[in-house]
Amino acid sequence: MGPLVVNEIISSSTNFLFAFLIGIGFGFVLESSGFSSSRKLAGVFYGYDTVVLKVFFTAAITAMLGLLFFSLFGWVDLSLVYVNPTFLPSAIAGGVIMGVGFILGGFCPGTSVCAAAIGKIDALVFVGGLILGIVIFAEGYPLWESFYKAGFQGFPRINELIGVSQGVLALLMVLVALSMFWVGEWAEKKFPREEY
Amino acid sequence: MKKIQDLKPRILLAMALIPLALVIAAVPENTTKPFKLTIEELLNEVTEGAQYFTTDQIADFIVQKDPSIQLIDVRSTDEYETYHLPGAINIPLADIGSEEWLGYLDQDLRTNVFYSNGTVSANQAWIICTQRGFKNNYVLQGGLNYWAETILNPQKPAETAPSDEFAKYDFRKAMNAALGGGTLEAKTAPVESAPALPPIQKKPLKKRAAGGC
Repeated sequence: MGPLVVNEIISSSTNFLFAFLIGIGFGFVLESSGFSSSRKLAGVFYGYDTVVLKVFFTAAITAMLGLLFFSLFGWVDLSLVYVNPTFLPSAIAGGVIMGVGFILGGFCPGTSVCAAAIGKIDALVFVGGLILGIVIFAEGYPLWESFYKAGFQGFPRINELIGVSQGVLALLMVLVALSMFWVGEWAEKKFPREEY
Repeated sequence: MKKIQDLKPRILLAMALIPLALVIAAVPENTTKPFKLTIEELLNEVTEGAQYFTTDQIADFIVQKDPSIQLIDVRSTDEYETYHLPGAINIPLADIGSEEWLGYLDQDLRTNVFYSNGTVSANQAWIICTQRGFKNNYVLQGGLNYWAETILNPQKPAETAPSDEFAKYDFRKAMNAALGGGTLEAKTAPVESAPALPPIQKKPLKKRAAGGC
């Protein structure tokens, strides 16, 4: 019965080993699907390539359905799965910073490391900026601590907020994802770009 | 009729995921928790007596006002009101399944020590809590009977007894004095109980936060 590490079925060292192997697999798939190209990544903002959207959304809904079925079969205890706490103001600010950085730099944090690993100079610069940002955040922490921790809302889940079961929300998310894929493929036809 | 290979990946994905999502939307959520201990594990704990605290240990905790120890009296409310250990709360064995006490029983902050007159009721409370997967639950060895025998009325060992028997006797006398002295008869006046603490909310077990993309 999962989560394996919380229920002490595996040790946290074994957990790190699994994370390491999954991480290598994740990085390999990212690179081989072309996610180390910042033009491909930026395509999602211009509409000429929405692979990023499709891949990550597919991963999310697959994992979501998998977890719900595992819970249904009694293989994982969802009440022990960590849910991030919600701080709305800092989440919005963080989302804006992340989005602007994504468009400007052409990478998101994971893909930048992936592209740096195959030696892309722009990705190396991006990772440098990433580290600089981390240092500024950490060193200036007292300045933004009050904003960072403002508006704590506990650990709410969307299905609790709108009062439906997890399964119904999952169905809605799958429908939303599939319609986004349809919009994405429409956009790819509408804003084609020959070479990128 | 198109062949399945000719369908767009988006349509294939929809064909796979929508039925699954419909199933998951239709079934109720699974909120059951599994039993935490197998028979072997439970037997092991019981035969080793790992669930016991001795009366000497508990007396020491009470005198030192150790905040990590929560004594729980599983006898009836009447018996509790007649006499109970300092700082103990009363959860009668019949009420052990009540939601009201869940915050005390299912928590990972404090060490709960059940006691009754003997050890039968306390052990029953312990086994119920252990099988429900609650941690940090223990039993006072020998119960209040042994408490009265060892802490409230310590017997002076014979002259020829080994020196650690005398050390134990001195310790118990000191504990008795620190707890207000006297025998059980003198202690039957209601002991002021500690103010009721708010139920401890169980913290969700933290896993490492997952990264983004």
